[in-house]
Amino acid sequence: MAGSRRITSFFKLLLLSLALILFIVPFAFLLLNSFKENKEITANPLSLPGSFSMDNYANAFDKMNYVDAFTNSFIITVLSVLLISLFAAMTAHYFVRNPTKGNQYTFLLMVASMIIPFQALMIPLVKVYGSLDMLNSKWSLIYMYIGFGSSLAVFIYHGFVKGIPKELEEAALIDGCTRVQTFFRIVFPVLMPTTATIAILNVLWIWNDFLLPSLVLTDPEQRTLPLSTFNFYGTYTVDFGPLMASLVLTVLPIVVVYLFAQKYIIQGVMQGAVK
Amino acid sequence: MKRVKGTGLLMLMLAFIVVLSACGSSNGNSKENAASNSAGVKITLLNSKGEIQTQLEDAAKAFHEDNPDITLEIQAVPNGGSPFERASTLYASGNPPTMIMLDTGDVEKFKDRVLDLSGEKWNADTVANATDLTTFDGKNYAFPLAVEGYGFIYNKAVLDKAVGGTFDPATINTTDSLEKLFQQIEASGSKALVVSPMDWSLGAHYLPLAYAGQNKDMAEVNKFVDGLRAGTVQLGDNAVFNGLMDTFDVMMKYNIDQASPLAGVYERGPELLGKGEVGIWFMGNWAWPQINSFDTANGAYGFLPVPVSNNPTDYGNQEISSAVSKRIVIDKEKSTPEQQAAAKKFLEWIVYQDKGQDFLVNKASIIPAFKNITLPAADPLGKSLQDYIAIDRSEQSMSVLPADHWSILGASMQKYLSKAGDRALLVKEIEEYWKTAK
Amino acid sequence: MITEKGVWNRLRLRLLFTGPTLFAFITVMIIPFVYGIYLTFTSWDGISTTQTLVGFQNYGSVFKDAEFWKSFGLTLKYVLYTVVLTNVLAFLLAYILTTGLKGQSIFRAGFFLPNLVGGIVLGFIWQFIFNNVLVYLGQKAGIGIFSTSWLADPDHAFWTLVIVTVWQYAGYMMVIYVAGLTGVPNDVLEAASIDGASGWMKMVRMTVPLMIPSFIVCIFLSLQRGFMVYDVNLSLTKGGPFKSTEFVSMHVYQKAFLSRDYGVGQAEALVLFLLVAAITLLQVYFSKKLEVEA
Repeated sequence: MAGSRRITSFFKLLLLSLALILFIVPFAFLLLNSFKENKEITANPLSLPGSFSMDNYANAFDKMNYVDAFTNSFIITVLSVLLISLFAAMTAHYFVRNPTKGNQYTFLLMVASMIIPFQALMIPLVKVYGSLDMLNSKWSLIYMYIGFGSSLAVFIYHGFVKGIPKELEEAALIDGCTRVQTFFRIVFPVLMPTTATIAILNVLWIWNDFLLPSLVLTDPEQRTLPLSTFNFYGTYTVDFGPLMASLVLTVLPIVVVYLFAQKYIIQGVMQGAVK
Repeated sequence: MKRVKGTGLLMLMLAFIVVLSACGSSNGNSKENAASNSAGVKITLLNSKGEIQTQLEDAAKAFHEDNPDITLEIQAVPNGGSPFERASTLYASGNPPTMIMLDTGDVEKFKDRVLDLSGEKWNADTVANATDLTTFDGKNYAFPLAVEGYGFIYNKAVLDKAVGGTFDPATINTTDSLEKLFQQIEASGSKALVVSPMDWSLGAHYLPLAYAGQNKDMAEVNKFVDGLRAGTVQLGDNAVFNGLMDTFDVMMKYNIDQASPLAGVYERGPELLGKGEVGIWFMGNWAWPQINSFDTANGAYGFLPVPVSNNPTDYGNQEISSAVSKRIVIDKEKSTPEQQAAAKKFLEWIVYQDKGQDFLVNKASIIPAFKNITLPAADPLGKSLQDYIAIDRSEQSMSVLPADHWSILGASMQKYLSKAGDRALLVKEIEEYWKTAK
Repeated sequence: MITEKGVWNRLRLRLLFTGPTLFAFITVMIIPFVYGIYLTFTSWDGISTTQTLVGFQNYGSVFKDAEFWKSFGLTLKYVLYTVVLTNVLAFLLAYILTTGLKGQSIFRAGFFLPNLVGGIVLGFIWQFIFNNVLVYLGQKAGIGIFSTSWLADPDHAFWTLVIVTVWQYAGYMMVIYVAGLTGVPNDVLEAASIDGASGWMKMVRMTVPLMIPSFIVCIFLSLQRGFMVYDVNLSLTKGGPFKSTEFVSMHVYQKAFLSRDYGVGQAEALVLFLLVAAITLLQVYFSKKLEVEA
């Protein structure tokens, strides 16, 4: 009995390891070839690099304006995520504590809007904001992320705010706090785990988003990392080496974060789905 | 006290919203101001000829040396995106570049937004008919940048070996003589040709030969296209179209990639041709820099016509397709007068300054559309093309096809190339396309 | 005590708490949505300074646009395969990973990895694998199926998209299933073991019914992502060869921005919205019903 259990668990482990290799191997190929010269890559994509040269990286780093693109992506992601969380938590809190008909309908409208595909909005969005002269600025992009991201965030917060005992807030109000103070001193801290969840979901979305920034940001200096990768790929298709390096450079920041915060990220995804 | 605090926070929030929503516009304005206030003028050019991106960047530097107060920045249209798509998005975003390099057919759509360039000096020096297609109500809106042509590019070393002597391009003037040449190449140990399967190559270059080859008179060609739109042309019975597709069948038969005809990418063509692994590649003179990097034939390359019948004197059998293909327009909506003047200066610099001409002809391998530029073509393909033009063996390329023609009918041609569809299906798809084309 | 006095105070509070969110929500989602409906009644080419009203003509064009329906059908097929395969694989992985194996957190982290990377980059990575790595392997090792690029063959190109999608999302859904599985109370399963239920029976009778909320979430998510796929489609196959893998999002994009038919493009986007909304609502409705019955 114990023996057979050990055998099945061995097979499970074997199976999982094989699956894991399939999941990881594309990244391994990428890394491997990013150190090779174009000729080596086309001759044999599986061979080890003849010599470890960082030329491809230097080339890609330079041509894709990595520092600028990274800074843009960073500012846009951080600000959008912070503002979405803050505004959505306040709105959800207000909706839960003031359940008037109007608020409930507004909430339902927000929930319903989550099934609008982005494709149905992109053309008018570009036209409206283009005519207001509001495109091509990362601040407008952040503003749009707040608009697109708040529905889901309000929805998730709504569920958790309901779980906070009303008495907690009433006590604070009696002690002389205003509602604003109550929110920031009592409610928002209690919602911290939820905020982490929402932040993680939004970081994964905004950091990697392509279509919206490609429509909003047109200046080369404004490009985010995905845009700059795509553009780099488009302009210099001949040379595989720097292309591989550019992909590694794009993937690297988020993988580094993942290595350190892996547990929280996976927890965040779990909680976001269970709500 | 508490109330004040709350109000403060509220004001902060509202201020934030106002700042957020105002940011876009203030940002845009401040940029323009910065451009006009600072000592120099900054202008931009949206480049849609990806293969000369580096050369253009160098030209921008050279131009800046001659004109230290003007900084020119080159932006690129990403591969696979069309210049129109990019340019219209840029206009929608209220941030158009100072200059845009457009395909000929797109200029008309932009004519309300770009400068009338009729007063520029270079208009007097263009080659014949260079600005006809960009002139509306007597005003020319665009600068003709390049004459481009396409056909079968051959590697002379391979062909010399195949024919056992010196290859004479004039001997190829029928589909049969082309097929014989293919056989000779294969007998000599190389593969005959590579057919690059990109939709733009098949849809914007190969297939339009069927329209342009109808008649030497452009008016007749236009009538033919109108017939396609009206659905009155029976393409399946058209001699030129069928002749062109018969030649295509021969190409498919000897294609080095026939096992997987759609797998090839553009970069494969110049490598195979340059290394002499194939003797022939269907492409245009813009491919020279890439062929050159693999060259094994000491720079001996040239063009062959794409034959459309077995009668050597039929129109198209001895002609190479060429036309002015890229145009530069100057924005008038968002650019300051200083920027517009700087942009005009750049165009003049290309035509009349030695450095500009050097960039155009020697660096970017472009055949200029100006009579005053007498520099000989720097590369064998440009030279071959100029020779054909000089003896009036050129066929006007189709420059004003609908914008999605290359994509939709390019896909139909790919289907034919991979034998996923037959000629009847191709005919049907082309006829269907034209009936609803814009 | 909890309600503040005065209309102004209440309004101020409301604006403060809901103003920023609602303002952004309305200006970014609702106004473009409504304006988009208006656009479907015009003919605008994307650059001209004027637009003319054309009534329902654009909707007529949508129904006549055979390519749109073909790409919609193709997207349906893609959604069907990816939803089924992603969820089966994710559930299996999650099931094995909750049986208390050693190193299961390493496995979880590894399977989740592809989700950190955006569709554009993934598409490029896999393009290299299908075009270069597999073709090289196929030719050297004489594996016929790999010896030509899958991306050049219409049937195979479709499957590359399915493979990449399943590869990416299985890890994400797995995490959700793990959360669901750890939520299944152990005492229920133990009680079942004592009653002599086999592993398979336990799974079908006990675990699966208790997991229905997780299934609803995962299927909903994979349906939505499937219908809206664009990035991978663009960077892996660009819709080729000969438009055989052009999914509906890409078709809408091309219609508007390449063929310069914003009116028809937007009308197609709206039709897409209605179809997707109907399908997802039906899915949620039926699974909720199932949940109540179970």
